[in-house]
Amino acid sequence: MSIPAELKYTREHEWLRCDGDTVVMGLSDHAQDALGDIVFVELPDVGRQVQVAEPCAVVESVKAVSDVYVPVAGEIVEVNTALETAPELVNSDPYGEGWLARISLADASQLNDLMDAEAYAGFISES
Amino acid sequence: MNDLHKTPLYDAHVALGGKMVPFAGSSMPVQYPAGVLAEYQAVRESGAGIFDICHMGQVRVSGEQALDLLQYLTSNDVAALADGQVQYSALLNDAGAFIDDITTYRISADAFYLCINAANRQKDVAHLLALSAEFNVDVVDESDDTALLAIQGQTAQSILQALVDIDLESIAYYRFACCRIGGYDAIISRTGYTGEDGFEIYLANGAAGGLWQSMQQAGATPCGLAVRDMLRTEMGYALYGHEISADVTPVEARLMWITKLDKGEFLGRAAVAQRRQAGPEKVLIGLKLAGRGVPREGYAVLAGSSKIGVVTSGAHSPLAGAGVALAYVSPECADRNDLAVEIRGKPIAAKRMKLPFIRSNVRR
Repeated sequence: MSIPAELKYTREHEWLRCDGDTVVMGLSDHAQDALGDIVFVELPDVGRQVQVAEPCAVVESVKAVSDVYVPVAGEIVEVNTALETAPELVNSDPYGEGWLARISLADASQLNDLMDAEAYAGFISES
Repeated sequence: MNDLHKTPLYDAHVALGGKMVPFAGSSMPVQYPAGVLAEYQAVRESGAGIFDICHMGQVRVSGEQALDLLQYLTSNDVAALADGQVQYSALLNDAGAFIDDITTYRISADAFYLCINAANRQKDVAHLLALSAEFNVDVVDESDDTALLAIQGQTAQSILQALVDIDLESIAYYRFACCRIGGYDAIISRTGYTGEDGFEIYLANGAAGGLWQSMQQAGATPCGLAVRDMLRTEMGYALYGHEISADVTPVEARLMWITKLDKGEFLGRAAVAQRRQAGPEKVLIGLKLAGRGVPREGYAVLAGSSKIGVVTSGAHSPLAGAGVALAYVSPECADRNDLAVEIRGKPIAAKRMKLPFIRSNVRR
């Protein structure tokens, strides 16, 4: 299971990459594997203000529907529209072309509440 | 997982990375690492999928009154079968409701073979044994000694032909032949649960692993329970516990085509005739979603803002390009043009469609 060292992770299996004063988020390799083939992704509206732990997206696979939660509070400034016609990118490239949304951070200290790669690896091996 | 039955292919599934789940008392693969859509493509596009269905049951019914017993206990007309022919059928109770759906194979005038659902095996066998007491017949549950594999898709025949010593081309749809595989007796029928051309192969447990490996090496793609459910839902095929159960008769389930009221007396006949006369209170329809989402079992079917039914099976259909569902709805509402399936609190517009949702490729 791939867990890139430079990213941060949540208990709901989302990843975050810091990019200046915005963060990019997506679903981890563990999450896409558990979900199976993804057929629909419902992304939040650009401009929406979001709070931590709020459901912001929905990922639907052949076997299940899953909510995706906001890892850090802020504003949705961009979403990956490619997923509307190619939802399978979340499976094939979860950390690259399968990214979900970009958020402009309201409070950078919230990043400290997230797990680093090593902690996330420990977290999934326990669950 | 310790109490679960392992089929002869258990080790093969684990070696392939199959995700094993409990299903009707057996440990079965729900999918393999390449994913459900890759398995789907193998079956529906230009390849073939192989399915481990060893968990299903087989019952041999033989003797002077084998035909009489089956004519009484099954809904379809057993007397219409020729040697080497199969029919889809049902065991009904005296309320005309489903005990199980089955396939009936006629080997000869006094030798028949039934394929029954894994989940209903004990119930079906008990039912057959109880009613066979009054007939000159032997009923033997051969499930434990019988493996069952399926190969389905465009290349199914060419792959299987290289591995068996009978001419598969001569087996027509819903016909079967007996042969030997791996030194044991086997039955091969041109039947299946996918809507593609293909075969179901009944063989000894000891021969199953070898045939599975050979088919896989010849290019067939192992397929799990998840894709099996998608494929049969696209075809509108019933699954016991969903479209058929002890709560519905063939009238509601639209299976009157396997229920031959004119064949003579059979268990459940009067009740089915009565239900048909009175009209069903609910009817099974196919629905295709107009919006995004995957309909799933238990989701409400709406007409306008009223709930008028419930989804019994649903799937994302890659070929139909939309979610498809089988649902029971009130008959008066079945043809309304304001139907919807409620998905996570939101109504998604749906249109009634004839079944199957996609083109059937079975060989006629």
